[in-house]
Amino acid sequence: MVWLRTAAAYVAVLLLALTINFALPRLAPGDPLSFLLPEDVLAEMTPEQEQAVLAEFGLDRPIMVQFADYAVGVFTGDLGVSIRFGAPVWDVILDRMPWTLLLMGWTLALTAVLGTALGVAAARRQGQMGDIGTTLIVLAVGSAPVFWVAMLLITLFAANLGWLPSYGAVPLMAQPGSADYILGIAERMILPVAALTLAQTSGVWLTARASMAVALSRDYVTFARAKGVRERDVFWRHALRNAILPIYTNITIGLGGLLGGALVVETVFSWPGIGQLVVQGVEARDYNLLQGVFLVATLSVVLANMLADLTYPLLDPRMRR
Amino acid sequence: MRYRSFLLALPIVLAASQATPQSLVPGESGNEVEPARFLSEINNDGPKEAERLTLGMWVAAGNVTTYTVGNSWNDWILWLMFDKLREPSPYVGNAEDWLATRVEQVSDDARVWEIELREGVEWHDGTPFTAEDVAFTFEYYREGPSNRWTHHASSVPRMVGIEVVDEMTVRLTSENPMPNFDRITAADLPIIQKAQWEGVENPREFTDIGIGTGPYRLVEYEADRFYRFEANEDYWRGAPVVKNLDIVMIRDPQTMFTALKTGEIDGAARPVPPELVVEWQDDPDLELVSAPTLWATLLDINFAREPFNDRELRRAITLAVDTAPMLDRILLGQGKPGTHSWPHVDSFWTDPTLNAPYDPDTARAILDAKGYIDTDGDGFRENPDGSALVWDLKTASNQPLFLRAAEMVEAQLAEVGLRISVESLDPGSISALWRSREFDLRIVHSTPHGMADQDMLIINYRGEANREITVDEERRAIVDRWLAQETPEGRLAVHYELQQYNTQWPNRILLWFPESTFAYRWEAYDNYVPSAGYGLFHKYSFLPNAARDDVADPIIFAQE
Repeated sequence: MVWLRTAAAYVAVLLLALTINFALPRLAPGDPLSFLLPEDVLAEMTPEQEQAVLAEFGLDRPIMVQFADYAVGVFTGDLGVSIRFGAPVWDVILDRMPWTLLLMGWTLALTAVLGTALGVAAARRQGQMGDIGTTLIVLAVGSAPVFWVAMLLITLFAANLGWLPSYGAVPLMAQPGSADYILGIAERMILPVAALTLAQTSGVWLTARASMAVALSRDYVTFARAKGVRERDVFWRHALRNAILPIYTNITIGLGGLLGGALVVETVFSWPGIGQLVVQGVEARDYNLLQGVFLVATLSVVLANMLADLTYPLLDPRMRR
Repeated sequence: MRYRSFLLALPIVLAASQATPQSLVPGESGNEVEPARFLSEINNDGPKEAERLTLGMWVAAGNVTTYTVGNSWNDWILWLMFDKLREPSPYVGNAEDWLATRVEQVSDDARVWEIELREGVEWHDGTPFTAEDVAFTFEYYREGPSNRWTHHASSVPRMVGIEVVDEMTVRLTSENPMPNFDRITAADLPIIQKAQWEGVENPREFTDIGIGTGPYRLVEYEADRFYRFEANEDYWRGAPVVKNLDIVMIRDPQTMFTALKTGEIDGAARPVPPELVVEWQDDPDLELVSAPTLWATLLDINFAREPFNDRELRRAITLAVDTAPMLDRILLGQGKPGTHSWPHVDSFWTDPTLNAPYDPDTARAILDAKGYIDTDGDGFRENPDGSALVWDLKTASNQPLFLRAAEMVEAQLAEVGLRISVESLDPGSISALWRSREFDLRIVHSTPHGMADQDMLIINYRGEANREITVDEERRAIVDRWLAQETPEGRLAVHYELQQYNTQWPNRILLWFPESTFAYRWEAYDNYVPSAGYGLFHKYSFLPNAARDDVADPIIFAQE
């Protein structure tokens, strides 16, 4: 019965999200015509001619018909044709998805490891000078706008030192699959991953630090110490295990954002991921493309939450009951 | 009405005829595009040929068809693949035969033209280029979906007869006279292959690699990410001297110029910001050339909305705007200040006497007379009905120079008692303003197609949408008379009239004409040439010297 209620809640969320995904792009001022045709061409067009252009993408039909078409398309896998790219939306998204997964996957892994390790370490030294200094640095870096961090990295490591490339994801001239190609991707990935990791680590760090600090102040920790349990075991087996749930939640939320991409960083580094696709879709008022990207982002959040729900009991025996 | 228009036109026509000495080409004003200037301190002698160049572009070109290209910052990609009947462009007035060997007016009323095509030209797939392709191009653009170029067949001019005379000759007949067909339409319309496009009903979903007759073949692309071109060794005008062009999309300007500085790209096909021009003039790796692109930045007044449908009020607004300090403070002097309403100051058909003065006293007098009075003593005027006056001024958030200009306009209009609220919107919302008309004032820029193509000014007042919003019979009468002119001289004279009318009763004021400076790494390739309207990065820069001498402009070096 609980599972039925949970499943019904997910379905309701999905339907609500579909509606919002459909409405959101259309709420922005303008329509694709202003992207497809320059002002001087629009100036000479009659309303009938404008409708003819919109009809090429089915946008001349009543809004409810468009919504019905979209809803059916979601379940049949037909998200329509991208107005900007002239290709099926799924093809465009699938083409970009690996790049976003690569970028965001590494970012999430590094953020989780670094944030947790540094946060837990900070909790151990809470209130000491080292902790205060680390807190200030992490908060300062985490508060910096990510585009600014990205530009600093480009200026330092690409422009001044010349160690790393500043844009793109692939070396154009290398044969796909070759060692040069893979190496080229790896070195192009370093700066955007670094920018995102610097920007996002503070969230995990703060959660880990606070959660661990709370756990270390609990009675069971005091009791374990009174029993004579070794400090290392108190820390790792008693405190951390209890502190891990909020950290895990934070990381799974990040997992949900994996497919959403990183709008700013992808744009600054010309990284061909979903984030840049969103920017391009917004510019062109490409309703079909935006609906598709939002759908993918929605699904990934829902799936990540489901994953969290399903795996909590593995981490916390109390939830198995 | 006709009689009144004639009287209004007469002195201007006379003035135009007096201002056009015999030495001028008929239909041209004598205005010339400023020559390109070499700006670096040292003129290095780099290679004049290259095996491969990587260039950065910043405006999406989609699938590189005439349906996904249309902005003047991306059309150079299209011209790598496609040719026109005459080249280089409609912006210079002296186009040369290219795919055509003869473009001739064959009727006195300038409605019928005959085009003889060049023998031996082949498409990239090896098939011969014939009159069928040219006729198909005009038919497709007249009947098919609209794009940036379709007006050449469907509107100004509108073709009513498209006839294949023989395998290499086409005859075109238009609804109205088209005395400038040879220097505008023929020099702007890309010719597409009938075999590839016949049967394509929805060209905006066409993702095949385009087949052209141009100097480069597109061999691979991912829309808005990268485009790989290889030289067409059989190009009829001579094999390109750069054998491979890799064009990568870099949207962020800082990233683009960093990539140029580090050598990741060999040239940046976007203008260098004024501050960077100063910094890079002594850079040993880069060379800078200021090449004319014929863009302009303008303050647009929404004449479709009250109270801006009052032409005297619009005049008062433009009289209160001083463009000279904008050039100095925003562009660091790199360009020319705006002096009138339209078109580009360097166009070959622009009236050289155009001048919209900065006259805040007259602006104040007009506003007073119209009833815009400061009734509460706060230093700002109220509307004639006593309500608060606050006009919005919208501009794009990704254009920092426009934001600075908006702040200066706000301050200048405050000097005459007008309160302005500057709003920064995302570029998509700014683009939508043209159709929604949801603005009072806006700062935008206009392409060479909009600023320096004589037909486009007419199109801006001719479309159905504009018929509804241009409630101005005098202007409409001028446009109708322009359409009836059968000679380039006649068109120029009526155009002068329209330009003067627009300057006296403006819908907009041009704020500045930017000097577009481009940078490239001279050690990779050092044989670029400017072409008015296209700047420095275009196909002529990659052709052998003999093949481009007639269409490229000279560069002025400091020592000359």
